[in-house]
Amino acid sequence: MNLQTYVGRRVLVLPAMILGITLLTFVLSHAVPSDPVAANLGDQAAADPAIVAAFKHRWGLDRPLPEQYLVYLRNLLHGDMGVSITTHQPVLTDLSQHLPATIELATAAMLLSLLLGIPLGIFSAVRRDSVVDQIGRGVSLLGVSMPVFWLGLVALFVFYARLGWAPSAGQLSPRVALPPFVTGFVVVDALLAGQTGTATDAIAHLALPALVLASSAVGIITRMMRGSMLEVLGEDYVRTARAKGLAPRRITFRHAARNALLPVITVIGLSFGSLLSGAVVTETVFAWPGLGSYAFLSATSLDFPAIMGVGIVVATVYIVVNLFVDVAYAMVDPRIRMG
Amino acid sequence: MVPRSFARSPLTVGSVVVVAVWLALAAAAPAIAPHGPLAQDIANRLAPPGPAHWCGTDPLGRDILSRVLYGARLSIPVGIAAVALAVMLGTLIGSVAGAAGGIVDEAIMRLTDLMLAFPTVILAMIISAALGAGIRNAVIAIMVAWWPTYARFARGLVIGARDREYVEAARAVGASPLRVFLRHVLLNILSPIVILGTLDVGRAILTFASLSFLGLGPPPQIPEWGSEIAAGRDYLDQWWIATFPGLAILTLVVALNVVGDGLRDALDPRLRKA
Repeated sequence: MNLQTYVGRRVLVLPAMILGITLLTFVLSHAVPSDPVAANLGDQAAADPAIVAAFKHRWGLDRPLPEQYLVYLRNLLHGDMGVSITTHQPVLTDLSQHLPATIELATAAMLLSLLLGIPLGIFSAVRRDSVVDQIGRGVSLLGVSMPVFWLGLVALFVFYARLGWAPSAGQLSPRVALPPFVTGFVVVDALLAGQTGTATDAIAHLALPALVLASSAVGIITRMMRGSMLEVLGEDYVRTARAKGLAPRRITFRHAARNALLPVITVIGLSFGSLLSGAVVTETVFAWPGLGSYAFLSATSLDFPAIMGVGIVVATVYIVVNLFVDVAYAMVDPRIRMG
Repeated sequence: MVPRSFARSPLTVGSVVVVAVWLALAAAAPAIAPHGPLAQDIANRLAPPGPAHWCGTDPLGRDILSRVLYGARLSIPVGIAAVALAVMLGTLIGSVAGAAGGIVDEAIMRLTDLMLAFPTVILAMIISAALGAGIRNAVIAIMVAWWPTYARFARGLVIGARDREYVEAARAVGASPLRVFLRHVLLNILSPIVILGTLDVGRAILTFASLSFLGLGPPPQIPEWGSEIAAGRDYLDQWWIATFPGLAILTLVVALNVVGDGLRDALDPRLRKA
């Protein structure tokens, strides 16, 4: 199978996957006997049958489930995800306002975890059982065992409240205005508008939550890189390179690390999911105005149009990211396309 | 019974001790906790750690040490229950897929693909938005989010076991398909699945704490580590409120993960060198 066919096949499945995601989200948020009526109207209004009937009619809750889904799907195709019960805004508007902040945070965290995890994994493998290796293993163990919300609070306490190194929670300092909206990513928009001061402030605010969020991905990537590197270092061609008398540095980076990176690429896609999970929690700690804060608000108030929107968007982002990762993998490793 | 490599690593042995201590503390909490988990000492609200309250008090004047100890009585069983339910559901569905094959297998596997696209916390939020918050619903959320992983694992094992000689032998002596499946296939794949589940208990405890930190767990008066940390969010200067429940989660989950890794290394010699 050539690369085009492989990519084409994967892209063709995408709409079916997204349709499945909408169905699954719908079933999960509707099939169980929930009572959004009481949660959203309050006890007094919920006692009035006329108000309840009007509410149910407004949200289509008085129709059979399959019909509700078809209506939802038809609206979805027109870009209508319903109106949030809590914010009274179209869900699509809410999502487009919150998604960029989450992508910005998750991307920064992913970059940080790659920058930290890959070198740490390489050195842990090369200097096996050394102090670096012990530290690397300690970091990855703590990374996967640490409650990220607690780490966030500890970081805020130490670096903001005590040392004063980090700015307060939020995306920008209170007196700094948002840059003109272009991409929705504050750092990028500020740079596009030439507002270096705003960009610096935004990066300063991004640093701590991104580092906290990166903690678990760092652990996973370090562990994966170390394991993969150890495997490659045992290969025949590495022994050949050594026998040829190549410099150890050259063997480590040119011969071993480049090949050991391959399996790590897949982990990047997979750990993006846990990164999105972590983002939800991290955002609530750092008052980050992203999808996580929005999901938190809507989940705690039984706002099902909003939470369905979040679910569909997050799962779609995850699937698309993994599609890109798989395609990248297929490009660098032709063996994948054979499968 | 315990492989030697397992007992030889001081880190693993230390972690076993930590897990054992937490189990003992959870069991003995009512006897050893200095105060009741709900008892309020209003005169000593937000008291820093001291002789009267070793780990300080929270905004309602409740003793944090006592609440952390009582919290173990909730987190540990919930973590085990959530994983056990996910393992049972996943094994059931996955082994049906593996045994049935064909379109049933294909449909179940595509469903797991879709389920795995949802991050656990988002899935839990969707479920909580429908069912409401609570311990039971948090457990259901973890079960719904995690069964696909076990289903895929079980399916692989069933497919591997299906054509083994002992299964063929059972079929040859005339055992019914159901009996072959239950007695000869399912029973033989159970132990790797149970081990995989054991490795995930730490992660389940962590996930449960995240959910209750987000307010999707038990109501606030019930002592639970995640919600206690949430209570400390508005009191950054009273560092002890969030610190001690956080340390409780960290020590228990680190220990469980080390024990899990040790167990895996001991049982799978191929990985030991890695």
